[in-house]
Amino acid sequence: MEALLKIENLRTYFYSRSKQAFVRAVDGVSLEVGQGETVGIVGESGSGKSITAMSIMGLVSTGPGVIGGSIHFASSRGQLNLLQDLDAYVEIEEKNGRVMSVNKDESGWQKFSERMMKDLRGKEISMIFQNPRASLNPFMTVGEQISEAIRLHTSIKSPLEARERTIYWLEQVKIDSPGLRFNTYPSAMSGGMCQRVMIAMALSSEPRLLIADEPTTGLDATIQSKIVDLIEELKIETGISTLLISHDISVVSRLSDRVAIMYGGAVVEYGPTDLLLDTTAQIKHPYTAALLASIPSEQKIRDKAELQTIEGDVLDTINVPPGCRFYERCNQITPDIEFKCATQHPELREYTPGHQIRCWRFAGLTAR
Amino acid sequence: MKKYSQTTVAIGDFSSLPFWQKYSTVDLIYVAYGLLIVVLVLASYVAGMFDLLPHDPQQINMDMLMAPPATEGYWLGTDFMGRDIYSRLIMGIQAYFLPGLLAISISLAGGVLLGVLSGYVRGKLSTVITYFTNLIDSFPRLVLILLVVAAFKPDIYYIMMVMGITGIPAVATAIANKILFLSQKNFIEAAIALGLRTRVIILKHILWYNCRALLIIQATLGMGEAILLETSLSYLGFGVQEPAPSWGNMVQSGANYFLQGNFWPSTAPALAILFTILGFNLLGDGLNNILEDRRSR
Repeated sequence: MEALLKIENLRTYFYSRSKQAFVRAVDGVSLEVGQGETVGIVGESGSGKSITAMSIMGLVSTGPGVIGGSIHFASSRGQLNLLQDLDAYVEIEEKNGRVMSVNKDESGWQKFSERMMKDLRGKEISMIFQNPRASLNPFMTVGEQISEAIRLHTSIKSPLEARERTIYWLEQVKIDSPGLRFNTYPSAMSGGMCQRVMIAMALSSEPRLLIADEPTTGLDATIQSKIVDLIEELKIETGISTLLISHDISVVSRLSDRVAIMYGGAVVEYGPTDLLLDTTAQIKHPYTAALLASIPSEQKIRDKAELQTIEGDVLDTINVPPGCRFYERCNQITPDIEFKCATQHPELREYTPGHQIRCWRFAGLTAR
Repeated sequence: MKKYSQTTVAIGDFSSLPFWQKYSTVDLIYVAYGLLIVVLVLASYVAGMFDLLPHDPQQINMDMLMAPPATEGYWLGTDFMGRDIYSRLIMGIQAYFLPGLLAISISLAGGVLLGVLSGYVRGKLSTVITYFTNLIDSFPRLVLILLVVAAFKPDIYYIMMVMGITGIPAVATAIANKILFLSQKNFIEAAIALGLRTRVIILKHILWYNCRALLIIQATLGMGEAILLETSLSYLGFGVQEPAPSWGNMVQSGANYFLQGNFWPSTAPALAILFTILGFNLLGDGLNNILEDRRSR
């Protein structure tokens, strides 16, 4: 199956002026989203999930931003590399595989990327954000905002037809009395309703790929599950491919076909959802195992067992250690691999077909 | 009760209500009063154009010096040269209105441009703009005006141009701050992600929908300020020059006779200034409330 979106070795860095060092927000992410597939990205705050999404959309504006990798997207114009010619704008000085300095022609790249993204953004790749109310213009009625998107991206240009289409989409996202809701301002809607409006707006252009950046964060638990239901339904109905970013494993497990676990700007485990989130599986990245263990199960709640946490803090992406990024928090280091863990960054390796892990523990197992 | 039982509306949908139910009565009164002032100003131009004034405002009548109000044919009285105060009052606003509009246009156009550049584009340009606005801001406005007047001539249009330029920093800062505030909410980012052009985002989403109230306030306040500025300059003798009437020079010339008991030559224009400035300020206030009403946050 031809992949719709294929990210290879994406690197997005920021420069921290106060610390005189790079923040390696995204450091070598590779991912694939197939046609009609939903891929979830899970990770703690600061693991680079959102920046990955922003990099795909070309929304990273602080320097140096995206500095390497490729993003292949099967658009209606054919296969495109969204980061095509990036190398011409970026000069990277590397030492022992670590980026020491970056020289990027930011405005030149922005201009180039802008031309590339112009017909894709919002039309073929749509995005919904967390905090839906802040994502809507407070002074425009929701109807106006959706019809603006429709008139921009579809063949419907007349205001009246756009209005009809808007009401159709409001119905699709299950907003009651959509005709009356057309003239409502975002301030008069609940967060869940605003997210429905955002979803309607994102889908109204009938995009190929939907990027959902923490779509349920900040909503009530009951609303969260309703939004997830809605996305699930629309996914089946429209067959849209989705890149779902969340730190909520339950959301990801319900919606995704495949999951990528991110830690410290890199994917540490990538594979089919049921395999990855199966707590009994033997081959599992220690970080994934720790994440899964930290979800309180019904049994644990009944026993009043203490909640499990992952010791330590999220990786400081400024001073990235030379070894495994999870080394300091890992609880599965055995003496025979400890030296490697501390000094060498493991590769993402495939163990069973489609299931990749970045850990020295399984290095002894033969790949494939 | 009856008022609301007639129509069924979705919560938050005010668009189907008639406008007098949609907005607060106070705001509507403000706007109505402000519009009345604007109409009167326009009426003054009509009167001037079609010669509808009771007297020529510049015609000196030596037989009628300092006629008190309610004199036959001169219901607001005459000034120390026997000129009809009522006619001069009507024509006096014309000394401000167009020049004031010029000043407002300059400060709004310049302010919006610089504000958008520093708020939206940011980067090094923003620093340069901050230096520029600080430079203008740190210059005493009156001194600058006197400089211009001395270099050219005491013309109200030159004065208003200076006023317009010195008004740029206030507008620019307000717009830049508004944009910074808006970019904390991420709807601008969402608009970019939606594929909207930068032009549309800036003009429609930022300036029209989110800054129009602010701009209206700035514009109406600017009109009041223009009138006050000319009045103060008239006291220094640099305002609109006699014999052309302006409320400022009417107050100034009338003030000499105030203590002799001839209060009317300066009181009438002073009251006109008061009610006109009040009108423009209330107009801005009312429009602001109506445009912002129930929508933000």
